[in-house]
Amino acid sequence: MDFTIRAASLDDCKDISRMILKLAEHDNVSDQIKITQRDLEQDGFSKNPFFHGIIAEVPEHFKSRDGHTKVGYSLYFYTYSSWKGRAVYMEDLYVMPEFRGKGIGKALMAKVSQLGLAAGCTQLNFTVLDWNKSSLDFYRKQGCWDVTSDLGYHCMRCEGDALEHLGGHLHFTDQSQ
Amino acid sequence: MKFTICPAKPEDCKDIERMIMELAVYEKMPDQVKISHKELERDGFGPNPFYQCVVAEVPEEHMSKDGHTKVGYALFFYTYSTWKGRTVFMEDLYVMPEYRGKGIGKALMATVAKVAKEQHCVRLQFSVLDWNKPSLDFYLAKGAEDLTAKEGWHFLRFHGIALDNLAQEAP
Repeated sequence: MDFTIRAASLDDCKDISRMILKLAEHDNVSDQIKITQRDLEQDGFSKNPFFHGIIAEVPEHFKSRDGHTKVGYSLYFYTYSSWKGRAVYMEDLYVMPEFRGKGIGKALMAKVSQLGLAAGCTQLNFTVLDWNKSSLDFYRKQGCWDVTSDLGYHCMRCEGDALEHLGGHLHFTDQSQ
Repeated sequence: MKFTICPAKPEDCKDIERMIMELAVYEKMPDQVKISHKELERDGFGPNPFYQCVVAEVPEEHMSKDGHTKVGYALFFYTYSTWKGRTVFMEDLYVMPEYRGKGIGKALMATVAKVAKEQHCVRLQFSVLDWNKPSLDFYLAKGAEDLTAKEGWHFLRFHGIALDNLAQEAP
């Protein structure tokens, strides 16, 4: 099947928002989605974007049952390893179920890798849930390794009240003020 | 003990490089450090920095046994959650052993959290090695959640030849 991979633009945010929700449904967390199409527009397409996106698109005659031609996306941003330098993090990789098995997911991921290497990155990082066997198999087949299983790194997070408490009490001399 | 936390300047990169290596030694992976102060200067201080850094400094009269006054740092950058929005990832948090237990680590992390909130970030994320009990205890005491233990999240990575091979398949 013919498809193209291109950089996302502001106009794509509606479709990206649609597909984010679909991905969240797959991960059983759709009630946790707090951001909107407008947030994506502001955060991805302003002067200092928090992320970049690429879209997989099919021609009109291959559109989905629901009438969509934008059938997959990847959202990524640049990060930094204090050991290895510039890196790229792939936050999301998604292809609509009826378009899977056609190389679109791999093409999206390959594009993020290519863009990352072009920007001087030496790593492409991302996370996967340990029960998501089909994704884990897909990634392992491409040659990636599981840093959590192999080295023991755990993902940690502070949010909500914990983040409030952390940032709210600074009891030292801070010359940066 | 008095100390200050300030945004890093290019001239701090040699000290940051030194402390990155000390942290890598602690994490039992010193051979994994491939960048130097040159990359830190290039990547942290241009118009589009890849990271931000804050440094903890003590007055001269409290300098370390080796003569250093820059005794801790936190390196972080902005990331994005497609569920929750703007987030911060704290890549490194380190305090030299002889300066621990004085609130410097907490102050560094609090500074990162404060910057995160100013930029309307809703999460602060980082990673910890599963055997690193002192750090795990420190973070869990501050209300952090271990998402690997709790929800099963794993970090995966492409690098080296696998990354090159993947990139070559890009349309």
